[in-house]
Amino acid sequence: MRGGRALLCLWLALAGGPALAQGTVTSARPDRVAVTVYRDPRRSSEQAPNLNYMGGFALISETRTIAIPAGTSEIRFEGVAGGIVPQSAIVTGLPEGLIERNRDAYLLSATSLIDRSLGRRVHLRRTSRTTGAVVEQDAIVRSGADGALVLQTAAGFEALRCTGLAETPIYDEVPPGLSARPTLSVRARASRPVNATVTLSYIATNFDWQANYVATLSPAGDRLDLFAWLTLANGDETGFVDADTQAVAGGVNRSNENDEVPPDVEDLELTCWPWETTSDIPYEAFSRQEMGRGFIDSDGEENIVLTGSRISQPNLASTSPVTVMTAQQEDLGDLKLYRIPERVTVAAHSQKQVALLQRSGVRVRMVHRRRVYNSESLSEAPAGRYLITRNRTAEGLGLPLPAGGVMLFVDAGERPILVGQGSIGDHAVGEDVEIAVGDAPGVRTRLTPVSREGTVRTYELLVTNDRADPVDFEAEIATGGRVRADRRLSRRRGMPLWTVTVPANGSATLRYRVTRDESR
Amino acid sequence: MRKSILLSLLVATPLFGQALGQVQIPPPSQSAQGEVAVTIYNNNLALVQDRRQIDVPSGRSRQEFPDVSAQIRPETVTLSGQGVGIVEQNFDFDLLSPQALMQKAVGETITLVRTNPANGAETRERARVLAANGGVVLQIGPRIEVLRDDGLPVRVIFDRVPENLRARPTLSVTVESATGGRRPVTLTYLTPGLGWSADYVALFDEGAGRMDVQGWITLTNSSGTPYVAAETLLVAGAVGEGQQQANYRPPNRGTAPLRAAGTETSGRERLGDFYLYPLPERTTIANRQTKQVSFLDVHGTPAVRAYEYRNSWMGTAEQPQSANTVLRFSSARDQGLGDALPAGTVRVYQRDARGNPQFVGESPIGHTPMGSELGLTTGQAFDVKVHPVVERRERLGDERWRTTMRYTLTNARPNDVTVDVLQAGLWGDTRIVAESMPSQRRSADEALYRVPVPANGSATVTATFDTRY
Repeated sequence: MRGGRALLCLWLALAGGPALAQGTVTSARPDRVAVTVYRDPRRSSEQAPNLNYMGGFALISETRTIAIPAGTSEIRFEGVAGGIVPQSAIVTGLPEGLIERNRDAYLLSATSLIDRSLGRRVHLRRTSRTTGAVVEQDAIVRSGADGALVLQTAAGFEALRCTGLAETPIYDEVPPGLSARPTLSVRARASRPVNATVTLSYIATNFDWQANYVATLSPAGDRLDLFAWLTLANGDETGFVDADTQAVAGGVNRSNENDEVPPDVEDLELTCWPWETTSDIPYEAFSRQEMGRGFIDSDGEENIVLTGSRISQPNLASTSPVTVMTAQQEDLGDLKLYRIPERVTVAAHSQKQVALLQRSGVRVRMVHRRRVYNSESLSEAPAGRYLITRNRTAEGLGLPLPAGGVMLFVDAGERPILVGQGSIGDHAVGEDVEIAVGDAPGVRTRLTPVSREGTVRTYELLVTNDRADPVDFEAEIATGGRVRADRRLSRRRGMPLWTVTVPANGSATLRYRVTRDESR
Repeated sequence: MRKSILLSLLVATPLFGQALGQVQIPPPSQSAQGEVAVTIYNNNLALVQDRRQIDVPSGRSRQEFPDVSAQIRPETVTLSGQGVGIVEQNFDFDLLSPQALMQKAVGETITLVRTNPANGAETRERARVLAANGGVVLQIGPRIEVLRDDGLPVRVIFDRVPENLRARPTLSVTVESATGGRRPVTLTYLTPGLGWSADYVALFDEGAGRMDVQGWITLTNSSGTPYVAAETLLVAGAVGEGQQQANYRPPNRGTAPLRAAGTETSGRERLGDFYLYPLPERTTIANRQTKQVSFLDVHGTPAVRAYEYRNSWMGTAEQPQSANTVLRFSSARDQGLGDALPAGTVRVYQRDARGNPQFVGESPIGHTPMGSELGLTTGQAFDVKVHPVVERRERLGDERWRTTMRYTLTNARPNDVTVDVLQAGLWGDTRIVAESMPSQRRSADEALYRVPVPANGSATVTATFDTRY
């Protein structure tokens, strides 16, 4: 009895292969998880994150309690993000360090079941379509999974799915080393059994975040109530329950290398011998079979299905909401870290919003602006509207403003009205803030070339205002030459600047000459 | 172990007995590989040496070598062994499939088992395959039929599988030996699909000006075959197949990380120009696996943060631009990591207010000799910005211009910083006519201003260039 059992154990060990010769410990889920979301470094602040294809990433830190047996054991971490960048993984807390860490992307599928069963015994089940009688017999898999399944039965060699019978192979067990999802594992050694608290940190792709500002302009147009959401999105198939959640603003470089070994999942295609009957028209008389996969395309065909649940855009069409939880900001080196103070769930394929900041009574100015170039012909255009302030305490701000979209409302008594949409980049404390919020249809400009004598051109710029109140207008004269005007000009960003207040329902005119340094 | 092999044979044999005229293919978990040694280079290339015990009869015999790399370059195979002479080497990739099975059965006799659809009764008959061109034509006794022309279920049973149809591409070598017997032979070949690079984890303590660095060797196997209990050696370098191409960097990714190449020799194993990294113990490299093994662990290396901004031409930026955040350190024996660094990616972490490490950016490095100065651009600073503006452009004469640049630097951090502002695009013949602080001409093309910016303050630099364009 004893000997028989030992033999059975040996046989099991053999069937399990070398991977099971050592103890395998599986950690199904983390006890505690922290998620730090980083923006897509290539996405500009004007673009909102694309929920179907997120270019940002996240640092995920998990704490797991694992009972490690004495000796060498393989510890498998399940429930990690599908977008894990395996080479970024950091494992700490193993009592005697680890020997190596592995990430296997050879997945359990209909194809890999056949592939890994090559030369092994499976069962062939045939069901009679007439009587429902089931016949099971043993068979050995004799072909690879490339397009066909040839089986050896007691009768001889047969091909699956070529008979017209209802038949299917049945496997005794999942061959070792195949898992449902890419799995991270480490090989570690311990001199005695120990309950270890292990921390696993890794970078995972397919996350993103941005700020979403909701700004409400006072009726007078000089004060702004500013509210911002921290909008973060998880495009991974793994959700993180009760996670310590952070978001990081600032530029974080990622190298462009290929992060992942794509999972090895191939479609199972079973082919048979020629099927044509006398009623078919024969095709390609001498078609040859295909060669093995390593010879056609060494990479194999990958079928990656991008799944992404479509999430409707959050409804922000209301003024500043009342929130009870606001992210806390701290400095992280040269970056800004926003910490969500309570644990939240970052669910799979989801977007989440938490209050980021709130300021009321921010002093702002609305400026209408046009940049004019040397034009050969008359050009007419509406002025752009810019919301201008400075990120200082004196203006009611004075806090880092991470990049994001801006929606501008005016509180018009009963309900807010959306009067502009724009975006801002990252703004440090002390910086000038300018938000382009769209064109002003009623404040229009007309640039008329008046004359051209040699290298001297004369222009006239007319600004008209259809509003019942005066507007601030500025024109940036973008030209390579020297500019002289009939009014006083200042300079900004290396360009002459005309600043004027256009009276209510009135207009203003600037006449200027440009002398170009031309080669001819 | 021997006992268990016997047992599994016992399980297998009574069922099929003599029907197995085939060469036994061991199940995948039982590799036919012997003692495997793998040497992996950086450029997707590996040298596999597989020392197997095989039975060689005297005279000529054909030896099959299953479990070689699925991407093996068969022309690079060498087999050597005591008293073994090679007659020929074959690499068969005619794969076993129902179609191939039927085509090779043309002229042979097969067994048909027909199932009566009404009562399920089976009838057997023997048939000769006449052709398998778009429909299988059979001769059954005196009649000629097309297989399953009536659409009724028919099992086709083949007596055997033709010799050269393989489950997987198989390498076979015909050898000649004067004496028979079991002996070790060594199989050597090159295969793509195996590669490695280094991954570094740097935990930077800004307050102390120190960092801890862990180095990991990351090797990947997409060759289609696992290498069981392989002795693994990694070579830091690429052999043949031309040079490694220059790293493409998108603009504003900062200056290349290697600032000054070192001249010290690391204590590691070396072969000619290459450093060698042997793995400490035998390991199984599974297919589609990414494996990491530690090779470097250094604590408390001095490191400083620096800021750099490069204006690649004399242009105006619409808005202030974030300066690059650069982590500077050395790989020297003194005050450095004290090792040569194989090419890879350095990921930099810093602790947040709660003491948890957070990722602050990464940068690729090339093979870096010991004693080198490195400056890794990890990201762009939120609080340190530079705004370059062309103040004036005057034409001096034919093809001569005078350009006045103003750089406004702002620092919203609570500490003083120094920003290296590089003005590039000087074309070699550009003179600096006037400047508000002395510059250093780093090269004909670049002028460097080291600008101190006070805490929560700003600084301005102006410079006038006499340029050709």
